[in-house]
Amino acid sequence: MYYPEPISKLIDSFTKLPGIGPKTAVRLAFFVLNMKDDDVLDFAKSLVNAKRELTHCSTCGHITDQDPCAICQDTSRDGSIICVVQDPKDVIAMEKMKEFNGKYHVLHGAISPMDGIGPEDINVPDLISRLKDEEVEELVLATNPNIEGEATAMYISRLVKPSGIKTSRIAHGLPVGGDLEYADEVTLSKALEGRRDL
Amino acid sequence: MNIEQLQLKNYRNYEMLDISFNDRLNVIIGENAQGKTNLMEAIYVLAFSKSHRTPREKELVQWEREYAKIEGRITKRNQTIPLEVMLSAKGKKAKLNRVEQRKLSNYIGALNVVMFAPEHLSLVKGPPQTRRRFIDMELGQIQPTYIYHLGQYQKVLKQRNHLLKQLQRRQIQDKTMLAVLTDQLIQHASLLLERRFVFLDLLRQWTTPVHHSISHGTERLEIRYAPTIEVSESANKEKIESMYTTKFHELQKKEIERGTTLIGPHRDDMTFYVNRKNVQTYGSQGQQRTVALSVKLAEIDLIQSEVGEYPVLLLDDVLSELDDQRQSHLLDTIKGKVQTFVSTTNINGIHHETLREAQLFRVENGTVDT
Ligand SMILES: Nc1ncnc2c1ncn2[C@@H]1O[C@H](COP(=O)(O)OP(=O)(O)OP(=O)(O)O)[C@@H](O)[C@H]1O
Ligand SMILES: [Mg+2]
Ligand SMILES: [Zn+2]
Repeated sequence: MYYPEPISKLIDSFTKLPGIGPKTAVRLAFFVLNMKDDDVLDFAKSLVNAKRELTHCSTCGHITDQDPCAICQDTSRDGSIICVVQDPKDVIAMEKMKEFNGKYHVLHGAISPMDGIGPEDINVPDLISRLKDEEVEELVLATNPNIEGEATAMYISRLVKPSGIKTSRIAHGLPVGGDLEYADEVTLSKALEGRRDL
Repeated sequence: MNIEQLQLKNYRNYEMLDISFNDRLNVIIGENAQGKTNLMEAIYVLAFSKSHRTPREKELVQWEREYAKIEGRITKRNQTIPLEVMLSAKGKKAKLNRVEQRKLSNYIGALNVVMFAPEHLSLVKGPPQTRRRFIDMELGQIQPTYIYHLGQYQKVLKQRNHLLKQLQRRQIQDKTMLAVLTDQLIQHASLLLERRFVFLDLLRQWTTPVHHSISHGTERLEIRYAPTIEVSESANKEKIESMYTTKFHELQKKEIERGTTLIGPHRDDMTFYVNRKNVQTYGSQGQQRTVALSVKLAEIDLIQSEVGEYPVLLLDDVLSELDDQRQSHLLDTIKGKVQTFVSTTNINGIHHETLREAQLFRVENGTVDT
């Protein structure tokens, strides 16, 4: 079907988003045409700003508009315990439930030899240097409860074992094979209570 | 349990089909290449969400079509349960009671099926994967969580093999990750092996008497499981784990040299002995067939004893492959209790009284006449 170029470009952009197929993209594009000018402008600005102003915290790897991020800067938080997660969305899920008062470390992935992802390809080296520089007593390994997440937790645990830092794993109550970001807050806080030593 | 109704849409050479079945014997008659096996296969896919003939799901969708759909209504413990499997380029969906099941292990087991086709006659003489697949499928349908663990095992195995390749090519040096994946593999391997041992025990229990009877009491069947570690079948999971740990330790250098995992349930085998002789090596073709048939017949009772209901039996083109004596042994066993589907090009080849209560279906070029 033929669309004027500005619309077909917009449709193309929408199809780049996850979960949006060609039909939905067309629907969204035409919806935008009927939106108020101001709303469209705000929308476009938010898109650009989110991308331009957000970076990764140089300490923990979480997404932030200031470096170090607000969590790393917060002195009321317990710096002796670090929760290691795979994704910034996991930090947000943990923060929502307001049970954890330590700090975080975001790996941005999990070790997966078949995808050519080794420990250096995710944020593991940074974690190790943090353990040297900061006074950390415990790592809570909250990687995803699937094969790769589990292996990543086991790997980190082996790596820090000689240093005497305690490691524990949260896995109870989380849907097996599911992603942390889908866990509701109740299961997450149960999971945190039931963390086990590795 | 039995299948009351089956509906197909764009499945192989069936564009549209809606049929109801007899709860005893259903005989599917047709010339070659008309769709008999396709119909049997559809029932199999409804049970396992995968085909017995091909791992490529795309082949099941009618040429030039986007998707294929199989719907069935089964009865089990006096309840009617709708099942649905939908296959498309986007993947497959399986619905139980109209609710989509995201985990296969929650779907499989709703409908139990035992399929016997000419290729199953090679259970004894075929390559080891034929026998591993047999164990996995049969164990999986009486214990669906087994399928979940098997899937986990295969994922770890794949990761581990990739890592071993990288170590072999010296792309990485550090062996910490290998140790992690070895531990992970051992956990899943031990669980699979422990469950296979239990299954083997059941299989022997049900197969030996059937075999004894088909061979007129002249032959004694023995089924042995050959794992890649030396461990007794009565060992518990911890014992199995420690055996794997020792063996993996011994093999580490060799595994890196070869760049692949050398032991584990994916390399195990099962061997059949008749009167103390290995049937695979020494057995006559007839003896090999008798063993294959005994195992299949035993499965029917094994499932009944474990699940509490008889499975549905699919006999694709296989009756004509058996001599009269084995034929009647089979048909006597199922008589009056197991819903059975028999396909054949020629009904004259089947002599048995059960034929009298059978319903006939004539298949021609993707259509069925009753
Ligand atoms: N994806 C598909 N789309 C359309 N037709 C298909 C598809 N796959 C297979 N067929 C057709 O289905 C037919 C084979 O059917 P089937 O294997 O059920 O035969 P059969 O009746 O069991 O024959 P035989 O007696 O030789 O075993 C062939 O004609 C084949 O071309
Ligand atoms: Mg056929
Ligand atoms: Zn930070």
